[in-house]
Amino acid sequence: MSATTQLPATPTPPSASSPAGGDAPRPPQRLRRGALRSERPGVRIAAWATVVVCGGFGLLPVYWLLATSLTPRDQVFSYPPKFFPSAPTLDAFAALASNEQLFGYLRNSVIVSVLTAVLSVLVSAYMGYSFSKFRYRGRRSLMYLVLASQMFPQALLLVTLYSVFSAYNLLNTYTALVLSFTTFTLPLCVWMLKGFFDTIPDELIEAARVDGASRLRIIHSIVLPLAAPGLIAAGLFAFVRGWNDFVFALTLAGPEKQTLPPGLVNTFIGEASTAWPELMAASLVVSLPVAIAFIALQKYLVGGLTAGAVKG
Amino acid sequence: MSTTPLMPSAVSRRRMLQLLGIGAGTAALAACAPSAPGSSTGAASAAATGGAKTDFAFSSWSFTEEAAAPALEAIVKAYQDQAGVTVKDISFPYNEYINQLTLQVKGGQFTGAAHVDVAWLGSLAAMGKLQDLSALTEGRGYTDAALAAAQFDGVQYGLPWTIGAIGLIGNSDLLEKVGVAGDAFPTTIDEFEKTLKDLKGLGGGLIPYAASTKAAQLKDALIWMETFGSPLVDGDTVTIGDDASVEAVTWYKSLYDQKLIAADVDRFDARSLFAQGRAAVYDDAPVGRGAVTEESPDKDLGSKLVPVSRPVLKAGDSPRALVWGGALAVVDGEGAETAADFAQFATSDLDTVLADYEVRGLPPVTTEAQQSEVVASDTFGTQFNERITATSTSNPFWAFTAYSQIETVVAEQVQAVLVGKTDAKTAMQKAGEAAQKLVG
Repeated sequence: MSATTQLPATPTPPSASSPAGGDAPRPPQRLRRGALRSERPGVRIAAWATVVVCGGFGLLPVYWLLATSLTPRDQVFSYPPKFFPSAPTLDAFAALASNEQLFGYLRNSVIVSVLTAVLSVLVSAYMGYSFSKFRYRGRRSLMYLVLASQMFPQALLLVTLYSVFSAYNLLNTYTALVLSFTTFTLPLCVWMLKGFFDTIPDELIEAARVDGASRLRIIHSIVLPLAAPGLIAAGLFAFVRGWNDFVFALTLAGPEKQTLPPGLVNTFIGEASTAWPELMAASLVVSLPVAIAFIALQKYLVGGLTAGAVKG
Repeated sequence: MSTTPLMPSAVSRRRMLQLLGIGAGTAALAACAPSAPGSSTGAASAAATGGAKTDFAFSSWSFTEEAAAPALEAIVKAYQDQAGVTVKDISFPYNEYINQLTLQVKGGQFTGAAHVDVAWLGSLAAMGKLQDLSALTEGRGYTDAALAAAQFDGVQYGLPWTIGAIGLIGNSDLLEKVGVAGDAFPTTIDEFEKTLKDLKGLGGGLIPYAASTKAAQLKDALIWMETFGSPLVDGDTVTIGDDASVEAVTWYKSLYDQKLIAADVDRFDARSLFAQGRAAVYDDAPVGRGAVTEESPDKDLGSKLVPVSRPVLKAGDSPRALVWGGALAVVDGEGAETAADFAQFATSDLDTVLADYEVRGLPPVTTEAQQSEVVASDTFGTQFNERITATSTSNPFWAFTAYSQIETVVAEQVQAVLVGKTDAKTAMQKAGEAAQKLVG
C-alpha cells in the first residue's frame, strides 16, 4: 500500500441522539468524562471525597511510617498522638546507616528475591505453556493439583521443607530459600502465564510450524517474546513474595543468609521493647526498591494478572 | 482457547507415573534420612571435671537486642578468652524463639547452650535432648528458689540465669496523689479496688490499672485466679471452673465494667501507657524497667517505679506472683560439655554476673551476687525481690507440654467474659474442660 493512499473513513453507526439521523457529519466522539470532571457539583464532590478517603486509607499508614521514623523514641506513644512530629529527627536513619548487618540482610534479600523471580518465571513459563497449548490426559487435574498446593498451611509445609532441606544439607543456604519461595510462587505464576498464553492465537503457532520452526524455536522466538508482559508480571510477583517472606526466611536461612524481614524483627523487636523509629525507618528504606519496581512495571503486572480473564 | 490439540502430547501416562514415582521416592528418602545425632539426657559430668574444651553454639534472643547485646557479647568474649574456644552466637526474635529452637533441636541442627525462658523448660525437656545440669550447681551459690525455677520434673534442665517474677509495678507519683505511699500499697483486693477507684477519680483519662485484656496476654488472669484460691490444677486434674476461678473472673470483669482496667491492652500496651503516665499500676517483670523508662518522656520515671505485692483475698494470705526468668540449658551433642561449662560461668561467676547486672539490670541468681553492693544498692531490684519474687510460684501448667495451648484456651474464655459474650461460670467451666483435654 502506498504511503499516500488514504484509508477509508471508518463508518460510524447513526447516533440515537443525533437529530439529523445517520446522514449528518459528526464531530469525533470525545472520551466519556469521568465523574471527577463531571459538571454536576454533587457528583464531583462525592467522587473527590471517595478518592480522598480511599487515598487516605492507602497512604495514611505510609505517612505514619514516615512520621514515626522521624519521631524521637520517647515521643512515639505520646498522648494525644501528634500528626506531625514536634521534634523531628533523623537519628533513626543515621542508626540505620551505621548498621552494617542491615546491609547484609539487604544483600541477601536482593539475591534471594531475584533468583526466586528468575526460577519462578523459568519454570512457570514452560508449565504454563504446556497447560495452555498441549492436550494430554490428566492435564486439567495437574493444573488443579498445582493450585491445590496453595491451600496447605505454610506452617505445615515449613516443617516438611525443613526436614527435606536438613536431610540434603541445604539449610542455611540461598538454595533453600529460593526453592521454598518458588514453591509458593509457582502455582500463581503458572496460572497467570497460562492465561497469558491462552490469549496468543493458536494460528500463530500453527503458521510457525508450517514455516518449519521447531517446538523450542516456537516457544523461544515467538511465544515468549509475545508473553513478555506476563513474564514480567510473574517475575514481579515472585520477587515481591521472596522479598516479603518472614517465616521461611527465619527458619531456613540461618544467621548468614538472613533476609530483611526476619533481620529487621531480630534487630529492632526485643523481648520487652521495640525500637519503633528505627524499625519504621528501616521498613521505609527497604520498601523503596519494591515500590519503585512496582511503579515502573505496574502496567505489566495489571496486564499479566488480568490476561485471559475475559474471553473474546 | 482452542479445544483441539495443537500438538501431540509430549508426556505419556507412563512417563507421568514415572515422574510421580520419582517425586514420591524423593519425599520418602527425605523422610527416612537420619537426623543429626541426638542423645538422651545425660549428666554434664565432663564439664564439671574439666574435660577438653571445644567450640560450641550459644543461642539467645538477646544477641540482637540493642540494650542487652553488649552484656551477652562481653560474657561470650570473656569465656572465649578464658577457655580458648570459639562460641558461635545464634539469635531468633523472642516471639519466634521457642518455635525455632524446638525445630532446630528436633532436627539436630542445634547443640550447645541455649538461653531459655523458664516456662519453656518442660516442652524442651520433653524432646529428651537437654542435659541434666545438677552436677554443675554444687558449690556455686545458686539460691534454692532460683534452682527450683530452672527445674522440670525434679531435674535441673537449666542453670538459672536471671530469675525474678511478674508482679505489680506502680507509679509512686500517681499513687501518692491518692494517699498511697509505696510501702503502704493496699494489701487486700477490696482495698486495691478502692484505690483504683480513687485513681480513676484523678481524671485526665488515667487508667488506674493497665491489666491485660487482650487474649494474647490474658493468661495474666491465672494469677488472679490463684489469688482467689484456685489451684488451677491438682495433679492431672484441671480445677479451673471452681468457685475461686469464677469469682476471680467475675471480679476482673467488674473492674472492666467500671473502667478501672482498659480494653485491648497487652504487655506492650501496658508499658507504653505506664511510660506515658497514663496508667498508675501494671503487671511486669524486672525486664520491663528498661522499656518503660526508655519510652517515657519523664526522664525521672525510673525513680518513681515502685514494685508492690499483689493484694490478697483476705489478710494473712500470701501474695501471689508468677515466676519469670531466663535459664541456660544445654542441648546434647557437639560441644555440649563446654557449653555446660559456659552456662555455669555465665550464671555464677561473680564478676561476670555483676558486669551483666550493670548492663541488663536483671536479677542475679547467686547469694553472693544478690548481696553485692551493686545489686543491694538498686532500690527497685531489692524491693522487687522482697515484695514480689519472694513469694512467687511457677505456673502449674508449665508442667505440661501443651501449657501454651492451655493458657490460650483459658485466655479466650476470660476474654469472652470481658466482652460480655458469656458469664464467668459458663466460661470457666468451658475453659476447664478444654484445658483438661490438653492436659490429657
